[in-house]
Amino acid sequence: MNKTKILYVDDEPINLMLFEANLEKKYHVLTASDGLSGLDIINSLDDIKVVVSDMKMPVMNGLEFIQKARKVSPHICYYILTGFEISDEIQQAINTGIIRRYFKKPFNINEISSEIEIVINGTCK
Amino acid sequence: MFSDSILNFLIDDIDSLTEIQTYKGVFYVLITAIFFFLYMKKHLNKLRNAEQQLEVHKNNLQHLVEEKTKDLDAAINKLSKTNAALNDKNEIINDQNLKLKKTLKALKDTQSQLVQVEKMASLGILTAGISHEINNPLNYILGGLTGLENHLTDEKINDEKVNLYLNSIKTGVSRATAIVSGLNQLSRNKDTYEEDCDIHEIIDNCLTILNSQLKRKIEIKRQFADEIIIVTGNVGKLHQVFLNIIINANQSIEDKGTITLSTVITKENVYIDIADTGCGISKENLSKITDPFFTTKEPGQGTGLGLAIACNIIHDHKGTISFKSALNKGTNVKIVLPVKSHKNE
Repeated sequence: MNKTKILYVDDEPINLMLFEANLEKKYHVLTASDGLSGLDIINSLDDIKVVVSDMKMPVMNGLEFIQKARKVSPHICYYILTGFEISDEIQQAINTGIIRRYFKKPFNINEISSEIEIVINGTCK
Repeated sequence: MFSDSILNFLIDDIDSLTEIQTYKGVFYVLITAIFFFLYMKKHLNKLRNAEQQLEVHKNNLQHLVEEKTKDLDAAINKLSKTNAALNDKNEIINDQNLKLKKTLKALKDTQSQLVQVEKMASLGILTAGISHEINNPLNYILGGLTGLENHLTDEKINDEKVNLYLNSIKTGVSRATAIVSGLNQLSRNKDTYEEDCDIHEIIDNCLTILNSQLKRKIEIKRQFADEIIIVTGNVGKLHQVFLNIIINANQSIEDKGTITLSTVITKENVYIDIADTGCGISKENLSKITDPFFTTKEPGQGTGLGLAIACNIIHDHKGTISFKSALNKGTNVKIVLPVKSHKNE
């Protein structure tokens, strides 16, 4: 059985490595170190179910990246994972349905994987 | 003599002459009397006129004096009126002076509060930046720890010592995370009062932040209601209030003591009680503790602004704050806030 594909975008390589290492048993984890390469992956694959993105990244921030990605693949469930407290910008993104929710760093892998389990069988609209 | 010669010449008869001479005498006397009478009359008239004029002058003078007196009275009246007006003006000036003094004080208070707000705002920016930078390495630690735990499980390694070390790392990470998150919430520089504030979470956060400051001999008692209590307001500012009160309680305890934090919920309000067994506040000082700049602490230990700001914040949340204290027994701070919702934890 094919594992569910999830994409994680973060500009810090250690974060990428750890995210992948902790979730690779359950999911097929793809990683990108910025929004542009994240978009490339979304464009090239059509079976990504979940996208988790860091907020503060060079060139485009997490929400900018997700807004662009949404235009290509609106059926994906999007999440922000950030070291910042919730901001007005993120709260608004949750309210308008751009992202389902936000996770805080340091990340709780159990929290993230149980959220992924919830959405894995449906789609996000 | 001349008339005598004429008579002598005209009349020869001696008898007739004598008679005529007698008449003549009478005639002279009469003439003289008439002249005298006329003369006297004229002088008397003059005298009477003088007297009348004197009377008129006298009357005039009296009149004049009366008039002058009247004028003087009027002048005095006017003067006293002016004096009264001056007194009134003086009072107005005094009043205005007092008002100015009050305004100046209000201005000073506002200024210091502004400084405080500005400080909190810069603190907010600073802590948001720092906490982001700390949260990333914390992410490495926690992520590494999770990976390690999974790896050990996979390899079926169950070493008591390894578990001990892993648990220390876990405790360290979760405490650091709590501190960073607490600091972040405290210094949130939002000005709106529309956030959901979890009272228990806020108080616990403050205790975490103050953990190193709270003296070892102080026992913290938490007697919280069983529900999650949500108040509508400003998370950062409510942190400020509880931090301030807990710091005061901490400083009031000289050696050994207890700080009891309790919450009770009713349908509409949450009653938060923070009691310490510290040195207490004297009756005369108790009424002044919320005055800006009032402090009994050593210079540098307190600005005297903490409780003044705390009071304002509680009022901005449509709540009340009250203080009870007994010297050498302790102080009790009661805060009442309207609740938005509460549910069982």
